[in-house]
Amino acid sequence: MPAVVEPSDEVKEDAKPRKGWFFNPYLHVFLSLLMQTTAQLCLKLGADKSVGGIWLGVEALRSGWVWIGILAMVTGLLSWLYGLRYVPLNIAFNLSGLVQVMLPLSCWWLLGEKIGPIRWCGIALVCAGVCVIARPLMQVEEKL
Amino acid sequence: MTPLAFLVVLISDSCGLAGQIFFKHAMGGREGNKGTMLTAGIAVKAVGFFLWVGLLSRYDLSFLYPFEGLQGVVLMFAASIFLKEKMTLNLWMGVALISAGIMLVSRS
Repeated sequence: MPAVVEPSDEVKEDAKPRKGWFFNPYLHVFLSLLMQTTAQLCLKLGADKSVGGIWLGVEALRSGWVWIGILAMVTGLLSWLYGLRYVPLNIAFNLSGLVQVMLPLSCWWLLGEKIGPIRWCGIALVCAGVCVIARPLMQVEEKL
Repeated sequence: MTPLAFLVVLISDSCGLAGQIFFKHAMGGREGNKGTMLTAGIAVKAVGFFLWVGLLSRYDLSFLYPFEGLQGVVLMFAASIFLKEKMTLNLWMGVALISAGIMLVSRS
């Protein structure tokens, strides 16, 4: 019995990204990390406006910051998905650990949060752990 | 940090993970199943998102974000329970590092 060839869009996907700096996949991976950090900062700014009464932060939706955060999240996701088409997965996942570094730095710099030595040590340990676990984790996630 | 807050962090992390897995199945899954998977993914992600924003109104971002690293730990245990994946030395090391880091952060 002859195999039925199903027409699929994915097959025709070109292996090489388009020319031009904007289509550089590594740029998009970094952009997505930057967007992820921005999103968290905006969410924090928005959440600060709402008084935490209940555990569900639905009322924070009234703040514009939260919406900017959601927008940044979506933009970051799109860049990430584009980048992943060309950047090898293990490189991308190791780079994604950068957020764990960028985020506390920007909290300290932009939000003026005070980060003591104990917290810095904890963050460093988490970073190390995330890097160690990145590769096997990604193989597992494929199967789930 | 109160035990309740820690539990909320765990739930929020797990929701994020579950959402991701639902999305993955929605993208590559069987036809007809896609709508359900997508809806489930969005619903679960939304719960995780609102819990996270609620947490943000109580704690510093630099305090909370390291807990995102727990997603990896949760995923690991989920894999070893549901997929019967072997826990390698590397994985244990990662889990140990992340847990130790979280312990330090939660005391800061």
